[in-house]
Amino acid sequence: MAHSSNDEFFAKLVELFDYRKGKDHGSIVLTQKRLTYDQPLPEATSDTILPDLHPPQPMPILIRATNAKGKEKRRAKEKVKLSTVVDADNLPAFFERYAEVCKVGMNTLKPRDRRRKGKAKKKKGGAAAVGGP
Amino acid sequence: MPYYDTSQEWLRQSALLLEARPSTTRITTKYHITASSARRRARDLKRLKAQQESEPTTTTTSTTTKPPRGFLTLKTFDPHSGTTLKYKTTKAAEVSRLILSLGQLGRRMAALPEPEGRDAVMADAPVATEGGGEAAVVVEEKEKKSEPATTAGKGGQGQGQGQQSGGGGGGVGKGKKKKGKK
Repeated sequence: MAHSSNDEFFAKLVELFDYRKGKDHGSIVLTQKRLTYDQPLPEATSDTILPDLHPPQPMPILIRATNAKGKEKRRAKEKVKLSTVVDADNLPAFFERYAEVCKVGMNTLKPRDRRRKGKAKKKKGGAAAVGGP
Repeated sequence: MPYYDTSQEWLRQSALLLEARPSTTRITTKYHITASSARRRARDLKRLKAQQESEPTTTTTSTTTKPPRGFLTLKTFDPHSGTTLKYKTTKAAEVSRLILSLGQLGRRMAALPEPEGRDAVMADAPVATEGGGEAAVVVEEKEKKSEPATTAGKGGQGQGQGQQSGGGGGGVGKGKKKKGKK
């Protein structure tokens, strides 16, 4: 399957998160790794035993996203798989946008506690919460 | 397969792992939602089975109207050595910081030099690690299959890098202090 462009990837990722919003269970899995397929690397010599440690030029990064469906769901074409390749130059811009999309999409996580004052009066419960990780 | 208590520690260890195996290590971010009612129901069912026929209706009616709760798991995995590093959180406030730290790790994956401000450290770091790094690499080559040995080698290799990620950790540490105040 061909990789999407970065813009396409973000559009589809937002869809993926939106689809999850109405549901009360399920997962979204995001993966990143160095893209090594079809990338030029110098031969391993006695000087450089592992040439991947110091590649001559920066390597692109492969980003994947799925809705973690398997087996029957995969047969029913419900599995969504997205992937994109980010060039080394685009990394900071990409991840800023990525962070924004994830922040908006992951809305079932615990929001920051804004009832500090009420909690301070109750005190003991609050102290225990702060002690936690 | 440890879960780390703090994201800084996870980030530091992941950076070291990427340093040692930049082309095989992958980072997986799992965002998972569980229906809290379903969880409660399962627990209640268990409890019911344990009690066996003691008024099943009263316990189940109390479980409703809780919104589903999600969590986020970050996992760094290297299939060659089998090393797995994990961090788990339920706090929404951490999301963008964590994703941006994925970006930092992405720089390492891409074999880019460290961002500005740390260039000075990076400039002599490769020279410093070359000697120690070479030795560690030889160790890794010999004992590629045995997991503990490679992690030990990784630790030795990572020494030169410790300062930089420490610097990054310091920045994040500020956020933690703020949390402590409330």
